[in-house]
Amino acid sequence: MELTRRGFFKSIGAAITATMAVEMTAASPALAVETEKDWKLVNTEEYTNICCYCAGGCGSLCSVRDGELINLEGDPDHPINQGGLCPKGASMFQLRNVVDPHTKEVIKSPVRQTKPLVRRPYSKKWEPITWDEAAKEIARFTKDTRDAGYVETEMVKGKELTVNRCESIASLGGSQQNSEEEYLILKMMRALGIVAIDNQARV
Amino acid sequence: MSDKAFLFDASRCTGCKGCQIACKCWNNLPSSLEMNHYKFTGSYQNPADLNGDTRLIMTFNEFENKASQKRVGNAITRRSCQHCTDAGCVSICPAGALFKDEATGLVTHDASKCVGCQYCSSACPFEVPRYTDDGLRTVINKCYGCVDRVANGMAPACVTTCQPEALLFGDRADMIAQAHRQVAFLKEHGYEDACVYGENEMGGLHVIQVLKYGVEKHGQVENPQVMGTVGAMNVMKPLTGVVAPLVVVGLGAMFALATGYKRNTLAYNNETQDTIALETGEVVKTGDPQDSRTFTEALTENLPFMEANRKKKQLEAEAAAKAAAEAEAAAGSEAQVQAADTAAATEEDTQEGGE
Amino acid sequence: MQNTDVILNIGSNSAENHPVSSKWLHKAHERGAKWIVVDPRYTRTAEMADIYCPIRSGTDICFYGGLYHYIIENLIEPNLEKYRAGRFVPEYNFEYLTQYTNASYILDHEFEFDPQTGFFSGWDKDSETYNSHSWHYETDHEEEWDTTPGGTYAWAVGEGVPEFTTPTLTVPKKDMTLTDERCVYQQMKKHYSRYTMDMVCSVCGMDKEDLELVYSTYASSAAPGKAGTILYALGQTQHTYGAQNTRAMSILQLLCGNVGVPGGGVCALRGEPNVQGATDMGMLVNEQPAYLKWANTTDRDTLAHWLESQTYSDGYYTNKPKFMVSALKEWYGENATVENDYGYDWWPKVPSHDGSDWTELSSFEKMKEGTMKGYYAWGMNPCHSAPNSGNVRRSMANLDWLVVADQVITETADFWDAPDMDASTIPTTVFFLPCALIYEKPGTILNSGRWVQWRYQAVEPWDEAKPDYEICDILWKEICALYEAEKNDPKTANPDPILNMKWDYYLDGKIDPIPVAWALNGYKVESSDWKSGFTSNPDGTLSSGSIDLLAGYAGLGANGSTACGMWIYSGFFANNDAPCDPSKQAVARRNNVDSSGLGLYSEWAFAWPNNRRIIYNRASADLEGQPWNEEKALVKWDKDAQKWLTGYANGMDIPDFAATRTLTDGTVQQIEPNNKAFFMLWEQNGRLESYGMTDGPFPEHFEPFETPLSSNPLNGLLNSPCFLGRKFVDDSTRRGRVEDYPYVATTYSVTEHWQTGGQTRACPSLVEAWPGDMIELSQELALEKGIHTGDHVRVWNRRASVVVTAVVTPRVRPLTVQGKTQHLVGMTHHFSWGKLFGNTTLGAVNDLTPNVGDPNSQTPEYKAFLVNIEKTTV
Repeated sequence: MELTRRGFFKSIGAAITATMAVEMTAASPALAVETEKDWKLVNTEEYTNICCYCAGGCGSLCSVRDGELINLEGDPDHPINQGGLCPKGASMFQLRNVVDPHTKEVIKSPVRQTKPLVRRPYSKKWEPITWDEAAKEIARFTKDTRDAGYVETEMVKGKELTVNRCESIASLGGSQQNSEEEYLILKMMRALGIVAIDNQARV
Repeated sequence: MSDKAFLFDASRCTGCKGCQIACKCWNNLPSSLEMNHYKFTGSYQNPADLNGDTRLIMTFNEFENKASQKRVGNAITRRSCQHCTDAGCVSICPAGALFKDEATGLVTHDASKCVGCQYCSSACPFEVPRYTDDGLRTVINKCYGCVDRVANGMAPACVTTCQPEALLFGDRADMIAQAHRQVAFLKEHGYEDACVYGENEMGGLHVIQVLKYGVEKHGQVENPQVMGTVGAMNVMKPLTGVVAPLVVVGLGAMFALATGYKRNTLAYNNETQDTIALETGEVVKTGDPQDSRTFTEALTENLPFMEANRKKKQLEAEAAAKAAAEAEAAAGSEAQVQAADTAAATEEDTQEGGE
Repeated sequence: MQNTDVILNIGSNSAENHPVSSKWLHKAHERGAKWIVVDPRYTRTAEMADIYCPIRSGTDICFYGGLYHYIIENLIEPNLEKYRAGRFVPEYNFEYLTQYTNASYILDHEFEFDPQTGFFSGWDKDSETYNSHSWHYETDHEEEWDTTPGGTYAWAVGEGVPEFTTPTLTVPKKDMTLTDERCVYQQMKKHYSRYTMDMVCSVCGMDKEDLELVYSTYASSAAPGKAGTILYALGQTQHTYGAQNTRAMSILQLLCGNVGVPGGGVCALRGEPNVQGATDMGMLVNEQPAYLKWANTTDRDTLAHWLESQTYSDGYYTNKPKFMVSALKEWYGENATVENDYGYDWWPKVPSHDGSDWTELSSFEKMKEGTMKGYYAWGMNPCHSAPNSGNVRRSMANLDWLVVADQVITETADFWDAPDMDASTIPTTVFFLPCALIYEKPGTILNSGRWVQWRYQAVEPWDEAKPDYEICDILWKEICALYEAEKNDPKTANPDPILNMKWDYYLDGKIDPIPVAWALNGYKVESSDWKSGFTSNPDGTLSSGSIDLLAGYAGLGANGSTACGMWIYSGFFANNDAPCDPSKQAVARRNNVDSSGLGLYSEWAFAWPNNRRIIYNRASADLEGQPWNEEKALVKWDKDAQKWLTGYANGMDIPDFAATRTLTDGTVQQIEPNNKAFFMLWEQNGRLESYGMTDGPFPEHFEPFETPLSSNPLNGLLNSPCFLGRKFVDDSTRRGRVEDYPYVATTYSVTEHWQTGGQTRACPSLVEAWPGDMIELSQELALEKGIHTGDHVRVWNRRASVVVTAVVTPRVRPLTVQGKTQHLVGMTHHFSWGKLFGNTTLGAVNDLTPNVGDPNSQTPEYKAFLVNIEKTTV
């Protein structure tokens, strides 16, 4: 099987790309005059990914330096999009990092929420909570609600059936996750006995 | 190396704005981080025009089209630097901040050299150059052709991202040939006004366009001309030689009248003491320069490193923004918020509003 | 798409919402393909097209019915005698119609449709549902399975195989001359005789010249060797008859011989990144992974009943027992045995005996009633996206608790803070769990073309954000710990389904998607060791634990020897030489050389099933296995060598039919060409008529829930008799009348934003490119209402009132419906009061859409409803 340039960059691609970038920068006549700017992709590693919007399955290329995302654009080797990305895909970088209009610095997105929160009954505000506390509280809620709304057997047309059903909890979503995550969500919800399971495919 | 060019094919463009966004992302150009900052124009065209942090936009022109079965048309166009061969902005730039990339023929820039005089905007028939506040001063911001990407074997960011392949990048001759092929195809398919734009304009543009509905519908300039100012500048430039701040003061003096040329159509060269008509390049008067207020204003306002001036400008920008907001509230009509910071940069507003 | 001759965009705005499609459509277009757009407004896709025809929202079935009528009257009937005489007809593919579809099948003698009442035969007044008995075929004769040793179905009995009664094949009666008045073709001809061109124009609001151009252009794809493709999206599905819309498109494609051929097909342009994956995964009430049905209380109440009701009598789904047992074996591991029906009874049974509904729309009614008390929302935002979203918020205020896993604070997380809600009265505890972005975690994702692709992790998540697999694991461990600790507490409900479930997807001591990928791919049970704990070596091999991955689903058994979570993916992650290295699996292949010249790219990633790129590709060739069009060959029978030419090396596709059979001694035999082109159906022929729908065997036009018409011009029923929500209380659905709300409204997305904007409103450059919601309206309506471009417009109906910005445009035009002028308006639905970068509105556009839906798919009707509008200054 012939392998194209990109793919498993974590192992080998990174080194090659980084070296190429350095050489090209040094050799570039255009950059010789751009004295104040370094080549944006110098010393970056490339990781391929797939777009998070429509289901076209366009490939993207994440350029990473020192563990931070430097650039994201279409994967030129990908047969579907051949390097292209629509406006949404082209802005996926901004899901994580944005540019401050005042300082022009790249900063962490101020609207992304990256810590767990809880809103208490009748409260008008969010409060911080640790992962550990959140998990314990959610598990307790889940168990109590399941236990109260559980139907283990039921009479259907004169026959007693084992139904193992929890009628008091619903689960919605799944089209945003990777398939492995979908499987875990599904197993977890079905194990609880939930039948009200739906995702974006419904709508 | 042969000249390179962009090919924009309006008949393939879906107006998705992928290019507009890719340009912002590759160049780390900011957008507002405030809620309700942008007002919806009521058109698909947002923002309404280029600005100091937006080097490329898509424009839309909807119209009834009785000749077509579809009965309606939407001329979608890419608006950005056209990378002229006879680039007035390069000729006029006193600081060497704008220059041609030797490898490609594209008009690129080095903002670190920009003195903020904004003459380039007066020289551009397409009203492309815009200015951004880099924290210290107001400097040129426009499409630089992604010449660093090109040098690294990549296409410009807007071209790479274009899904329908409405944007291509390659040898200029190839782009022109492809444009003609596409126009022939369009004419066969009932688009009688389809044409190639950029082959000869301004000595030949480095953005070749296939205009499905013709020059006018796509909002392009019929017969764009090098501004008279530029001719005058070519006369003066040898006098100044290597650019240094002090020389720039001299140049600033020369071009005090040129800023906002649309209303002040005369320019003054303090070396020759000639006053020149901007449109024609003719010397209309010798000696006796313009009034001193304009002279000083233009000079100091556009000079770098002048903290006092910068503060003043900031205040003016805030005032302008406030006034714009009030006007907007009162009229409920569109306001160009992004124009606020640059509007104050010159005494008269040279910014264009919506298309 | 690049291989097509006619493109029909209907109910899809592909240029805007699936921009990558344009790249490929342009290739077809410039090769000479005709491009048609049928849409209520002139979209950016229409600008690309050759022909544009406006349509009133919600009248697609009428449009398709007219097209069938056109094809029957203009292509089939005039040539039928020629076909019967055995002569070739260049403009219509009779061989496809008669050999590969059920056109010749004789229907049950009770089959009937009454245009006066609008009902098909089988309507039960008491239950208000159909009994589909009379929609089946008449039987010619019956055949039993051969399960004796050496027989085709020997695997269906034996040690480890659950006991069940094997199915009986009922071979249908046919009339290959299509003359019998009870044959599907004749019934179809009769059914659609009402759908004349004048009728279609009057109902859909179309111009007759436009319509004729559209019909004649599309019908040209019915010629042998030609292909037409339909691109559809939510504009087709989001109706109270959305599933019938999709049926209608499939029927059209079968009628034109466009299924299974390059450049043909019904292209569902799916809108969510992994909605294909989630559909495959069966994350739906009645589904389990890989298109198998979930357990219920009627025909699937025990494992034996499941096997009996689900296993097909012929075709590939005869193998369902293998898929089912392997799925249960993966679900419960060693706790699944043949003695306990492989744990089948631990699966919750969906109530199917009492008519109750458990889908999204109904779950909000259950919250309102107070029976649904807890809710998990995984990257979904119903308080903004669900129809009648104000109703959703009010319903959710009855929850005890809500868990939202997302990247930003969505309107769902924040529902108690909405402008129309009073937080001080809402008792719900809400947890927000921060998720990793797509490039902050690894995993598998599917696209619309069934490609299975791998995502590499590029960077670590910010702060405490975590991948969903880790979030699941954290919660699951806590839940299990509680059930373990309290299993003897009398209040504890049955802990067995929880404690017996297999959840050991750990690699190097951490939860990891790779062992989950193994589970989905399938493995041999005996030779895999999940107990020792998996640890990996740098070369991708295992240093402890072992896994014996299956090369494909052909290796699955019904006797518990194999485990497989997702039979259709089998082979995607099957390299036993480096099971821990995704880059060495089929899912991550990166050969972008296309040996077919048709864009199959068969060595790029993996396509389920079995890496087939075009399903039902047998239909791309004639009865003798010769391609309809030599230039677009997907498979071909080599007459000289007496074998099928298939696969990447031959520049072709993997056969999606039985091309070979393996004998008991292991030799492989070629199967000569036959008419079994659709081997996932038991008939193995495409269904022009189908008994599988709940609301009718042929698509029939009904009006939307809210319609400007007072009666249905085509039959005696205004609305579909079965639609979901017809029994919801009026206070929930709040139906509006045309007298109060005279304008037909629809909703859609723009290319700059996505769904409820949770992601795109967080991207400042997208907000700059499109800062708020709009209403598009015609110049004529704007003049009437004194509205100008950029004005604020209040849009309201009985459910809500919202304010959006006006876009007055010639791209929307008033239509003439039943002789009257009908105005249409359209709105985007991306913005709301949420605290992201965009413009805020007091409500959300989905506060206006009705919470009713399709009876088959339970998909809501976002695409056609009624509103009133006025200029406002707010």
